[in-house]
Amino acid sequence: MKEKQGEGNIIVETVARVMIPFIQLFGLYVITHGAGGPGGGFQGGVVFASAFILYVIAFNLTDGGARFPESGNIILSSLGLYIYAGIGLLAIFFTLGAAQYLNYGFIPFTSHFEENRALGMDFVEIGIGITVMAIIVSIFFDLALKDGDGKEEEEEGSR
Amino acid sequence: MNRLRVIALIVIVLLCALFVYIAEDIPVFGDPNAPPIKSVELFTLEVDHVASLMDQHVVPEKLSKELAKRGLPPPSRVEKIPGIEGEWNAFIAKEELHYAKEEKYYWIREEGDKLRISRYAFVARWIEKGLEETAVTNMVTYGLADYRGYDTLGETTVIFTAGVSVILLLRRRSRL
Repeated sequence: MKEKQGEGNIIVETVARVMIPFIQLFGLYVITHGAGGPGGGFQGGVVFASAFILYVIAFNLTDGGARFPESGNIILSSLGLYIYAGIGLLAIFFTLGAAQYLNYGFIPFTSHFEENRALGMDFVEIGIGITVMAIIVSIFFDLALKDGDGKEEEEEGSR
Repeated sequence: MNRLRVIALIVIVLLCALFVYIAEDIPVFGDPNAPPIKSVELFTLEVDHVASLMDQHVVPEKLSKELAKRGLPPPSRVEKIPGIEGEWNAFIAKEELHYAKEEKYYWIREEGDKLRISRYAFVARWIEKGLEETAVTNMVTYGLADYRGYDTLGETTVIFTAGVSVILLLRRRSRL
């Protein structure tokens, strides 16, 4: 089973092992520099997710599933959205009476209104990045795994 | 169990109240005073006879001169905004700038004994005021995450919904 799928190929594994940290770092770079350069949450999230997909392709599904379990996946995918909506809610709390939802300027990160807006945008981009990354990985796992309990089937097949 | 239901009910009612509160804040569609569509203010003029000239659909010379001094295109036509007292639209002729048609370009409103002359054009405001207002250098980012923040929140929700749908449709395992 292992050799048939091309798993355990030392070239693929080594290249993946070298590339994955750089892909992840680049994904984080794209997310955090979304405000200043061409980038943002959506692209950065996809780049970060592609690192996980490369890991699964180079090694196998069970290892990939162990690295990024589904329970954590679901939590992360909603956490990003909660960060986004939570920033908006914070803005409501700090503008009680005016209800400036998603107007980041009123959240006192710093003393300047404009810089608050810039920082609020950064947090929002991080939230988008987390959601997109988790959802892409989740869809990939769902499409890649067979029906029934994928983990047990894999283990039985390799024996 | 009963207590749990009461707590859940209270939380839901609070959330509903919050959403109503938020919805009250969303700007009306097409409202010219909504924060993202506000125009760029240029200068102010004394009212004296400028306003009465504009009521007669005449472009005041004083206004044209002030605009020319700032390198702005002169208006070709002035029109009262129907239904609002003391507000006018000024149009520029076609192909005066890069517009193919006659373009509504200036917004003049009376405040006390001053006339405030502003310029319409969302794009102009986006380009000229964005950095000042948000301290972000990237035009696309402040468009995406600040001026159109509601839209991006909706987009992220769409992606989340897509992921959840795939989980519900394809994940046939005991645990979710």
